[in-house]
Amino acid sequence: MKIVIDGKVCEAERGEYLLTVARREGIHIPTLCHNDALPGLASCRLCIVEVVEKGWHKVVTSCVYPVSAEIEVFTASEKILRMRKTLIMLLAARAPENETIGKLMQEYGLEKPDRFKKENSSDCILCGLCASACEKIGAGAISTVHRGVTKKIATPFDDPAADCIGCAACASICPTGAIKVQDKSGTRQIWNKTFELLICPDCGKPVVTREQAEYLRKQMQGNPIEYSGDGTVRCERCKKASAADRFRTAFS
Amino acid sequence: MTLSSGMQHRSPDRVAVTGRILEGYPKEQRYTLAMLQDIQKEFQFIPRESMELIADYLELPLSKIYSLATFYKALSLRPKGKHVIKICDGTACHIRSSQMLANELYTLLKIRPGETTEDGQFSIEMVNCLGACAIAPVIVIDETFYGKVTPAKLQEIIAQYGDAFGQSDRSGGVAHE
Repeated sequence: MKIVIDGKVCEAERGEYLLTVARREGIHIPTLCHNDALPGLASCRLCIVEVVEKGWHKVVTSCVYPVSAEIEVFTASEKILRMRKTLIMLLAARAPENETIGKLMQEYGLEKPDRFKKENSSDCILCGLCASACEKIGAGAISTVHRGVTKKIATPFDDPAADCIGCAACASICPTGAIKVQDKSGTRQIWNKTFELLICPDCGKPVVTREQAEYLRKQMQGNPIEYSGDGTVRCERCKKASAADRFRTAFS
Repeated sequence: MTLSSGMQHRSPDRVAVTGRILEGYPKEQRYTLAMLQDIQKEFQFIPRESMELIADYLELPLSKIYSLATFYKALSLRPKGKHVIKICDGTACHIRSSQMLANELYTLLKIRPGETTEDGQFSIEMVNCLGACAIAPVIVIDETFYGKVTPAKLQEIIAQYGDAFGQSDRSGGVAHE
């Protein structure tokens, strides 16, 4: 079916999410809690757009709004911009020192709010993307804990998580870089737990944690990560290099 | 799922009772909350081992259960008393000195809202409007409402509940008359 986004006629499948269609058409809608590999969370609210259907206007979160009719969409109408500015200010009140939020404020011409001073300001905007990623990977080591003003992302009982494999997907997917992961001298520290990092036998660089390698071996039978169990695992780069070498000898 | 470190401290009773509760439910995630409610009713709180058992039973990560158990106010991670005293702190009760009732309960039971007496007889909660503003300030013990409560009346009311006063030495903090 055909929909119109910011004046551009776009082809969309029924049930496809509005954000997906817009991105495909190269139309920018800002997001924080969205990742293409995961279902939409609609928690950061930045992806709001104005939908006009049969003359009715409504504001929807485009990451979870499935296209079901021939609609017209405005991603940056006056109303949307005003609402989005408020949302950014609210995020800024939670994470005033954060770089990502700072950039958004700049982009939207906003001043740092001086109300709602937080004593222990954090970088976390509680979007839950990390927990979603952790669950998708299959570890499910972290989740949102408590609610309201005491809500946070944590491991059960704030213990070193038994289910954590130290893959640090949570840290790398976090839109505001709020999750601390420390790699040094062959170990990784994350979620109050220390992991041993396995090194690449060819280049000597740390690749994955032992737990992650074991987990992957269990999940993907056939051991595609070349983990020998002796504490070494070949990194992507060296794996490619050795494959290239094999090709060279085979075809020369 | 991985068994957590709490494993070695598991109380055999709690494991057995939790096990019986879980058996009554199909292995489906949607029953998690119902299980937790039953466990709360049974133990007056959600023991760690119960959460671990639910996680094992439903093959879910412990974090899911923990997230749910910490989200709902009706579920408590710390043991609640046999009798739960709710002090209404809605607007009407607040301006009619609900805080004084909390203070008086502290002198009587030596616990603050959110805490439980050492003997496990009482716990106190500050709650929002109970909808009985005409008889403010209100307290509710278990299911019974008490209106126009004064600090002087509190002692009388509390005395009706259990052996708290008689066995004050065990409770470790109940004031003698």
